[in-house]
Amino acid sequence: MIRYSTIFLLALSVAAAGCGDSNVKNAPQGAQKTKEAVKRKGTIGFSALTLTNPFFKVIADNMKVEAERHGYDLIVVSAERDVKTQADQVNEFIVKGVAAIVLNPCDSQSIGPAIVKANKAGIPVFTNDLKYAGSEGEVVCHVATENYQGGKLAGEAMVKLLSGTGGKVAIIHFPQAESCQLRVKGFLEILDAHNAKSQGDKIEIVATLDGGGARDEGFKAAKDTIEANPDLAAIFAINDPSGLGARSALESVAKQDQVKIIAFDGQLIGKQAIRDGKIVCDPIQFPDRIGRSTVEQILKHFNGDEVPKEILIPSELYYKSDADKDPELNDIRIDKQS
Amino acid sequence: MSPNLVTRLINNAFVRDYGMIFVLLVLAGLFSALTLKQQHPTGEAAGRQVADFIISRNGGEARVLIVTRNTGDDLAFANGAMTRLKSAGATVLDNVNGVASDAKRAIDSILASGGEIDAIAANDVTAKWPVYDRYPNVGSSKCVVPSSYTWPDFLKVSNLLGVANQTAIYAMIAIGMTMVIITGGIDLSVGSLVALASVGTAIMIRDCGGGVQAGLGLVIGAAIAGICICTLAGAFNGFMITTFQIPPFIVTLSMMMMASGLSYRLSKGRSIPELPESFFWLGRGETAGIANPILLMTLLYIIAHVVMSRTVFGRYVYAIGGNAEAARLSGLPVKRILMSVYTICGALAGLGGVVLTSQLSAGDPKFGLMYELEVIAAVVVGGTSLMGGRGKIFGTLIGAFIIAVIKNGMNLKDVDPFNQKIVLGAVLMLAVLFDTLKRRNSRE
Repeated sequence: MIRYSTIFLLALSVAAAGCGDSNVKNAPQGAQKTKEAVKRKGTIGFSALTLTNPFFKVIADNMKVEAERHGYDLIVVSAERDVKTQADQVNEFIVKGVAAIVLNPCDSQSIGPAIVKANKAGIPVFTNDLKYAGSEGEVVCHVATENYQGGKLAGEAMVKLLSGTGGKVAIIHFPQAESCQLRVKGFLEILDAHNAKSQGDKIEIVATLDGGGARDEGFKAAKDTIEANPDLAAIFAINDPSGLGARSALESVAKQDQVKIIAFDGQLIGKQAIRDGKIVCDPIQFPDRIGRSTVEQILKHFNGDEVPKEILIPSELYYKSDADKDPELNDIRIDKQS
Repeated sequence: MSPNLVTRLINNAFVRDYGMIFVLLVLAGLFSALTLKQQHPTGEAAGRQVADFIISRNGGEARVLIVTRNTGDDLAFANGAMTRLKSAGATVLDNVNGVASDAKRAIDSILASGGEIDAIAANDVTAKWPVYDRYPNVGSSKCVVPSSYTWPDFLKVSNLLGVANQTAIYAMIAIGMTMVIITGGIDLSVGSLVALASVGTAIMIRDCGGGVQAGLGLVIGAAIAGICICTLAGAFNGFMITTFQIPPFIVTLSMMMMASGLSYRLSKGRSIPELPESFFWLGRGETAGIANPILLMTLLYIIAHVVMSRTVFGRYVYAIGGNAEAARLSGLPVKRILMSVYTICGALAGLGGVVLTSQLSAGDPKFGLMYELEVIAAVVVGGTSLMGGRGKIFGTLIGAFIIAVIKNGMNLKDVDPFNQKIVLGAVLMLAVLFDTLKRRNSRE
């Protein structure tokens, strides 16, 4: 049995390693080495929060393109939301001797020791989308969406939506995430400013519920809200999944025409919902710009330029008129028909 | 080799019980060959080598800029180069220990004062910075780097210790799981107990000891309390299984949910980073150059091996797994033994949680996610039979390392994360297949 097991494991590992090679066509190997090594400036390691969420996949893909354009290779690994996995991945990046490390911290605190380790090995660490909030270790630069400004955009869209009538509004929140706190903060500031000078069209926040940032929990939260406030006018959801969950809840009680939804993100599902009129509008994020900008900062850092501690990429409002023109959505419609 | 010898080898008790060690060695050899790569030295000797080369190329009057990063090895490199250059009479224009922008400032000030740079003593990393090409009369062609050598990434000491350190926590928990599985049971609650111990310990340190200011005594007390909570949870598992005859799968599944819910509730879903420096010794400290979790793991395995192979308790555990009814009729204290086994498993999961908290410097209810499966996989790959009655403690250690080495090797070879999951699933499937075939063979 032992002989067989050895052979099987061997075969399996060779197969696995084979997969590896095909995935890293750009790693200088064998005969090409001497020629390639001169041009290649090094490798960047990226540990994503998860690759099952398309948002992070877009960041990774854009980082890869941008890095390769400037002579760097990009290794992408997925921590699947587990800090220990991510810390282990940082360790392996250090062993491999990567030039720079990019993280979406799985936890704003406990990734600290891994960052310290990378610092000690002289490897600069960058973060994007999610911020590291611990005190030990040094992150060169953080690139993310300007969530506070995005929240303000949502607030402005809400004021426009309810202008002249006012009404009751519920917020489907995800208070654990700092990014969502900023979104709601910006949203509330615009509403407060509007209410301060409004005559008869005051906008009243009747509920702020935790929707977990997910479709199922957003559904439950919206259902409870509509039970308690049958005359609700609108909902602000902090991301697309919870906004779509709220939409399902409204449909289940046939109130989808009475209650309008403004969400956040601009994921593909969100953009489709805006096109179909299920969501009024989204302040959208630009994962492609986040990815490219992260690599730009790394290049600047190696080029000897000063890099800002934080780069915020402004959000933009996205309405049905934008969706109708969006080539990304048109492609999908054709796919569906064919 | 005659067929007779092969048969004898396969039937040899050591090979049968620890044959997996060969698999581990083969894997290690394989990944060493696959991760063979050019390595770029840094450190004092490399610094001297670069200095010698510059002197032989540019002569004794060379004007040299040294550029390194601010790490221990790089500082040694800079010192080595500096000493050698100065003793040969060369001029060291500046010694940069930092990032590219520091190098830029140094070059700016050298050029501003009318200086010229003949050579830049750098290592592989700093030589690749594009900063030098910003100046027409500097250029990266002036960089001199130490000559490289070929060595596998996998076999670097830092990598091997890293693999051991990454596995230590799984391996510790796997001791308890091995015992449970040898009795023919299963414990699904260990992952959640890791989180519970982590959150429990961290909250106690924060609320009773004042967080960062907590004294050593309180830290130890809190760690023990965290382990005790999990020990109690394990004892409760054992109690429900033995008293009410509920299948272990269901009891520990319930405990898995309850413990996870409790740890989220206690921590309000957030991580707790308010921990004192003294607490980090266990997970991040080193004794004699080896990380403490590795030493703790080794110690626990030696104890567990002795307990399982040299004591009455150990014999009873195997006997119950072999045939619980026969064991009961022979007058063995079956209930008491099962209780102890689940209690030990809970306690080790708690210990794993405390070590993990110390390693990652925060208590977190998200810790331990899917650990039960990692740990069960290690036990099964290590040759312990899910049917009970068979298995070796050191087999589990080897099983844990086989999984860790495959993961590490695939990461070093940049295997796509989704493919990695497929491979690990297949490895587990094969391990169970061999267990089944082995049983069938021995029956025939």
